[in-house]
Amino acid sequence: MNETVLKLDHVNKYFGGVHAVQDMSFTLEKGELAGLIGPNGAGKTTIFNLITGVYDVDSGSILFEGTDITPYKTYEVVRKGIARTFQNLRLFPRSTVLENVMTACQQHYQYNFFEAATHMGRWKSLEGSIREQSMTLLERVGLEALAEQAAGTLPYGHQRRLEIARALSLQPRLLLLDEPAAGMNPDEVQDLNGLITKIHSDFGLTILVIEHHMELVMEICPHIVCMNFGAKIAEGDPDHIQNHPEILKAYLGEEVLEA
Amino acid sequence: MSGYVEGIIILLFINGIAAMGVSLLTGFTGVFTLGHAGYMAIGAYTAAIMTVRFGIHWLPAIVAGGIIAMVLAYLIGVPTLRLMGDYYAIASIGLGESIRLVLENWQSFTRGARGYPGIDNYTTLTVAGAFFVVMALLMFYLIKSNFGRAFKACRDDYIAASLLGFNTARYRVLSLSISAFYCGVAGALMAGFLTFIQPVMFDLNKSTELTAVVVFGGLGSLSGSLIGTAVITLVTELFRPISQYRMLIYGAVMVIIMVARPEGIMGQHELGPRFIRSLFQKKNGPSKALEGGDGL
Amino acid sequence: MDTLVQQIINGLSLGSVYALIAVGYSLVYSILLFSNFAHGGFLVIGGYICYYTLAALGNNIWLSGLAAMVGAGVIAILVERLAYKPIRERTNVTLYLLIASMGMSIVIENVFVVTVGGRFRALPPVIPTDPVNFFGLATTSAFDLLSLAMAVIFLTALQLFLSKTKWGLAIRAASYDLRTSGLMGVNVNRLISIVFFVAGFLAAVGGIFLSVRYTLYPQLGFITIKAFVAAVIGGLGSLPGAVLGSLILGLAEMLTAGFISSQMRDLVVFGMLVLTLLWRPSGLLGKQVSEKV
Repeated sequence: MNETVLKLDHVNKYFGGVHAVQDMSFTLEKGELAGLIGPNGAGKTTIFNLITGVYDVDSGSILFEGTDITPYKTYEVVRKGIARTFQNLRLFPRSTVLENVMTACQQHYQYNFFEAATHMGRWKSLEGSIREQSMTLLERVGLEALAEQAAGTLPYGHQRRLEIARALSLQPRLLLLDEPAAGMNPDEVQDLNGLITKIHSDFGLTILVIEHHMELVMEICPHIVCMNFGAKIAEGDPDHIQNHPEILKAYLGEEVLEA
Repeated sequence: MSGYVEGIIILLFINGIAAMGVSLLTGFTGVFTLGHAGYMAIGAYTAAIMTVRFGIHWLPAIVAGGIIAMVLAYLIGVPTLRLMGDYYAIASIGLGESIRLVLENWQSFTRGARGYPGIDNYTTLTVAGAFFVVMALLMFYLIKSNFGRAFKACRDDYIAASLLGFNTARYRVLSLSISAFYCGVAGALMAGFLTFIQPVMFDLNKSTELTAVVVFGGLGSLSGSLIGTAVITLVTELFRPISQYRMLIYGAVMVIIMVARPEGIMGQHELGPRFIRSLFQKKNGPSKALEGGDGL
Repeated sequence: MDTLVQQIINGLSLGSVYALIAVGYSLVYSILLFSNFAHGGFLVIGGYICYYTLAALGNNIWLSGLAAMVGAGVIAILVERLAYKPIRERTNVTLYLLIASMGMSIVIENVFVVTVGGRFRALPPVIPTDPVNFFGLATTSAFDLLSLAMAVIFLTALQLFLSKTKWGLAIRAASYDLRTSGLMGVNVNRLISIVFFVAGFLAAVGGIFLSVRYTLYPQLGFITIKAFVAAVIGGLGSLPGAVLGSLILGLAEMLTAGFISSQMRDLVVFGMLVLTLLWRPSGLLGKQVSEKV
């Protein structure tokens, strides 16, 4: 039926004595919008870091579209087609909004060193394309009016949109969103829901979202994986997850259940 | 034009080329270096030995000076650029000093600490000017390109940069190699200007001067580095009669700038019509972003 | 065999002086996470205060030594307050501190060049330098044994200060996380001043011994580069590491000078630096600082 885009196969990661990721396995099919949830410290961001090669896997493997990307360096993973946003935002604050996106966009419009140093050859046309594509993306997320603003001066919500725009300009086939709704109020979360579902359908992406805001995850993710202490404790659709005793225990604690 | 003034201008061109090299590495790629005088030394000695001992024409000698400095930087850079921040700064001091020590001790080839005399005065105003214009143009173009953005990404956040598909290690090495080329050429031109070179001319003080100039002008501004060079070179000349105070003033300037205005003269901006226009407009950047938001 | 033991003692003696300097430098690094390139300045200040007070107060090394140590410590505090505090309060970019410290080191060196002149000055012979027969194994100078002994005394005192006093505890806490220790009630500014005082204090002792060994001149501070190398080899931020690295460096230098050539000394020093940075950048005992992504 669908092709498997991402497959984690018995992945383990240790930080010294801490078993941060325990025997993690799950699969994402093409075009899925999935959620990765779990209490703080469960290892969710570590999973993202393992997929993108920021950390090395201790055992197990990670496959992307059938290719084993476990030994890949970060930039190789990105060039393969995976993009990611950050919990704490990692924009280039002193560059303009447009430059931030152009820096990502240029991956697909490469010209060589000689052309860069002399502004001859393909420089003019490719630079034009990069600029154009970047503005289009900014329009897609509603930030085109702020193109020449320094990214660091934007309000928080706009910065989050910029990060997403930047990730999109890499033309990924798998998008990893790390707590995109962090610090947002319920109205903003609703807007974000809309944005995520829009880019999911517009760009035909496979998306994996780490989130704490249950209104986001339960509403837009038909496939949810739940982690605690580095291990998977449940996987399924929102109904299954909401009624799962292990998950209630993880989030609310045993005493509440027994009460 | 008097010989004295002409000499100052040539010196401005030479120091400017070196400053652009260091600016690329420190200002745009974020690698703080205190050893680039070593690459100037390599360029100077290469050109000196090639022209004096082997009778080669100065043009290929100067280019060779740049290339040999670049190759050495590449070989050293690949392993050492894995280091970040302070570690690389300390390593660069060690490297710069090692180059100077080797030049001082390899007496048979370099004539040691006494210096290398008898170099032909090939660095005329035209030669220096031509090299400067060409190399400045190439550098300005490079900064305003995908490479420039890549270097800045490595500087601002190397993890984010790698997550945008940049092989940050490769860009750092590339930046170092180019900067070494520029310093090598500057050194070679210096040899042809002074007609006499000594290893001590390219010591830690010179390296510090190169970095100070870039910091003073603004990390992330090429025109700033050139303005900084002009100021420092001219001040050095003006203070020649009281040159013992020169270094003292240098050091004080570095401290004062860091305390009062760390972004330097130009900050991150380049000197151009836009910048000059902005000087006459009221600053209303941040407030503009906050008003008219969508509540997001 | 005679020369070997001699060079080993020389090396340990030199290394112990480096240790005094490297430890102060590493202490500052462990708290503020930046390389204070002006550290060499504190050394030189100590040397000159000692020189002039010796002349003024009649060759009493204890008094002069104390004056030098306190003086250097106080100036270190001033340097921090004037140059570093305004920067670190405004930004956490350590590059600016690095550059400011570079500038400060040039300022201190050249203040001496401009005021007292750059000529070499020998300290009056208040520290004995007569040859001593070392257990019949070799002849060494009393100076080497003394500097080794003084270094041990001061480093032990430092260790006691760090482990047994309240401020010592605060410093150790701050070396893990400065901000958190501030949140736990430590007066961060006062802590930093104390750390700089200690760094200046120790550097002055080193400065005095180095002045006797190499004569006193404004650029003597340049020798701190070797202390930096020692601190890196031992592990930036680790005090035992700084001591270990210094001893290794002192030994390497002296053995090279004794058995290969004096010119190769410095090359060996920088060679060891490059090797350490390539093979094990965090040094022998250094802490691995990893960034949370």
